[in-house]
Amino acid sequence: MDSWIELLHTAWPFLIRGAGYTVFFALIAMVLGLALGFAVALVRIARVPVLAQAAAVYVSAMRGTPLLVQIFVIYYGLPSVGIEFEPVTAGILALTLNVAAYLSESMRGAIAGVSRNQWLAGYSLGLNWWQTMRHVIAPQALRLAVPSLSNSLISLIKDTSLVSVITVTELMLATKEVIAQTFQPLPLYLAAAAIYWVLSALFERVQRAVEKKLELAHRH
Amino acid sequence: MISIKNVSKWYGDFQVLTDCTTEVSKGEVVVVCGPSGSGKSTLIKCVNGLEPFQSGDIIVDGISVGSPKTDLPKLRSRVGMVFQHFELFPHLSITDNLALAQIKVLGRKEDEAKKKGLALLDRVGLSAHAAKFPGQLSGGQQQRVAIARALAMDPIAMLFDEPTSALDPEMINEVLDVMVQLAHEGMTMMCVTHEMGFARKVANRVIFMDKGAIVEDANKDEFFGSPRSERAQAFLSKILQH
Repeated sequence: MDSWIELLHTAWPFLIRGAGYTVFFALIAMVLGLALGFAVALVRIARVPVLAQAAAVYVSAMRGTPLLVQIFVIYYGLPSVGIEFEPVTAGILALTLNVAAYLSESMRGAIAGVSRNQWLAGYSLGLNWWQTMRHVIAPQALRLAVPSLSNSLISLIKDTSLVSVITVTELMLATKEVIAQTFQPLPLYLAAAAIYWVLSALFERVQRAVEKKLELAHRH
Repeated sequence: MISIKNVSKWYGDFQVLTDCTTEVSKGEVVVVCGPSGSGKSTLIKCVNGLEPFQSGDIIVDGISVGSPKTDLPKLRSRVGMVFQHFELFPHLSITDNLALAQIKVLGRKEDEAKKKGLALLDRVGLSAHAAKFPGQLSGGQQQRVAIARALAMDPIAMLFDEPTSALDPEMINEVLDVMVQLAHEGMTMMCVTHEMGFARKVANRVIFMDKGAIVEDANKDEFFGSPRSERAQAFLSKILQH
């Protein structure tokens, strides 16, 4: 047991730095994914010709193929047609494209879940489509969407581990590298698992705070 | 003010409105009644273009609702509408419910819009509730806020789509009182309602609809005194029984 503590003490700086990358990936993909997901949801709800169909294919493809394959295609596949990314860029791109597909579906469902009469009420006051969406529908949809958006975002935190396969030293690869030198997989993998868990738990607290805030602004 | 000319509407093969023609003059109060499914809510929603129609036209203050060139949001901002289920925005305070469209559509300044909203809230007897959210108010209060919200846009006419049908009986009168007051002030109103007491008190004309068509369009005394159509007679005898 003492040796484990000593080991973790030595490994700690590497794991924390890896965890930093993990948080970095998760946050950037989260912000970009929410923006892209909202755009995709809007295009599909507004039934923009061509774009809506393209968006549907994109969502289906992203949800229907493994993230690992998507990462490989972007990092190892695209260079053969002349498109090359740094590992960090490729990782962010893959995570963003993947999570945005899931987020867009949650948002689309939530927007559809707001009563049609709320649209009519907005229109009846002279608000146009976008104003009604922005000021009437989206705020209500957000409240409906938070639980399922949070699910995707928690998955995202864990999915960042997959970008370790393209040489990005996030938490997972950092752990592997320490193991390669110390030959102590159990305590180190457990430590990595604990860090993922803590990150997810922290995010759950953020989710609850957001839910509470939205609840307050929607009192019954 | 509102001129409905030969309006017909279909949902697929099903015809919901058949050749509806009528007129609401400035300052006039017209009550639309009829059995459920008779198309009265659909007709009133056609007036501000919330429901599209396939043939005929509706002219509101000289502007054609059916024309694809019409700026519908602008037209709607000039015609107030009150819905059966109030449709306040649940995520906004009463103040913000009243101010939103004034700011976004009419371009009023925020403090100006809030002041106007508060004045109208006072008029419907609810100024104490300005900071609350819709869910904290009773149905009758919410509907009065909805009327104030529509009035805040300075509408040239008001459309009411069964404004009291979703209310508990003890709350109906507080809403009708506001509507009566509006009528007395000379507001042009088209009201889908079964409140025949309201119709008797303030309506100039009563329109009776059945199966998507306007069956009877008569001035109030004529309608209540001696409705010409059998269907209107049957309808009246049913709802005036008690």
